[in-house]
Amino acid sequence: MDWTKQIGRYILVMALQVLLFDQLQLLGACHPYIYVLCLLMMPITLPHSIDMILGAIAGIIMDIFCNSLGVHTAACILVMFIRPYLIGAIVSDKDRLNEQINLHTIGMEALVKYVVIMVLIHHLTIFLLAAWSWHHIGFVALETIVSSTVTILIIIGYNALKYR
Amino acid sequence: MQTLLKILVRYSNFLVFIALEVAAFMLLSWNNVYPRSSIMSTANDAIAWQHEQISEIKSYFSLRRQNEQLAAENAALRNQICSMDSAKTGDTFHYVPAKVVQMTTDRLHNYLTINRGSKDGIYRGQGIRNEDGAVGIVRTVGRNYSVVLPIINTHTNLSCRFAKNDYIGTLQWDGKDSRFALLADVAAHMVVNPGDTIITSGLSPVFPEGIPVGIVENSVLKEGDSYYTIRVRLNTNFKRLKYVEVVQNSAQNELEELEHGLD
Repeated sequence: MDWTKQIGRYILVMALQVLLFDQLQLLGACHPYIYVLCLLMMPITLPHSIDMILGAIAGIIMDIFCNSLGVHTAACILVMFIRPYLIGAIVSDKDRLNEQINLHTIGMEALVKYVVIMVLIHHLTIFLLAAWSWHHIGFVALETIVSSTVTILIIIGYNALKYR
Repeated sequence: MQTLLKILVRYSNFLVFIALEVAAFMLLSWNNVYPRSSIMSTANDAIAWQHEQISEIKSYFSLRRQNEQLAAENAALRNQICSMDSAKTGDTFHYVPAKVVQMTTDRLHNYLTINRGSKDGIYRGQGIRNEDGAVGIVRTVGRNYSVVLPIINTHTNLSCRFAKNDYIGTLQWDGKDSRFALLADVAAHMVVNPGDTIITSGLSPVFPEGIPVGIVENSVLKEGDSYYTIRVRLNTNFKRLKYVEVVQNSAQNELEELEHGLD
């Protein structure tokens, strides 16, 4: 997959994020940030530091939509920092990888592990930073669990449909 | 020197990570303390325009209710004109109608964006109300749009008082339910009854005195506490908020200059 396709997917996913998922008012705690899909499934061809800068850019764009300057930026940089180490720990057969991260190349078990860990880290960071205090820790925990579940299901569903 | 360079190269990714995170946290704290960048918020023309389009589409689903609300508001306004003509006092407040372009109600830090900005004479710190009562305070102003900190944001503090006896308290939000807020700083010697009306105090130039805010739902005085925990049912239905008014005080600049002069 070349970079025009990556950018095209990013624009589509961001449109879905802003037009649909940011409008959700279910349960009062369901704020899935599905745009993280693009960061998780980016090919691992670029240098690590460039990956983190791309994460920062995606974060700032999301922050502008949420009036939360810095929150998504910090979370996306963190996710992109962890990414190569986590892939190294989870994926045993690097030759099959072919620089792509999806269901087809890493298999269901590794994909589920990878997506669950990354999405939990990403969402927890966002909700903690947005709350900016321990007073609302109960709500933050609920928000993280509900929202992460939706995001995880969507990312794995996307993989299941596209990379069968 | 060479070892230092080797270390720098070896840990370059980690250093980039730290540098980026420091920058992100600077953005975060800068935004919390000094949120005036209209480009980096939903007061940004392009972002607000997109939200406006979505809200246009969504508004088709609530036309009937909107019409009823507008008709009721018209009637109330007509009544007000009558009473105002008879009592022309030295009031320095006037109202600018605005439409809510975007709003969240189920987060800890909710914001709403309105379709009025600096070109309509909107300034940071002006109050926002609708026909039911107080809504919030202007936070970030762009040219055509502004971001408002509503009562239902855990950062908001609003000076309020009891309608019955002028006792002052501070209205805060606990982040749980957009229908309720908490009134703090009410001392234990007060008699608080469910159903008491809470209105704006008029102590700050943001709101004129006497704009309705809510009614007391219940009050709890724990053993040994010297202040009540008072739950206030808000008059404004934030989930259905569509049309608001910006409260402009032509004396606000003068008042602020006076206050700064005192420092």
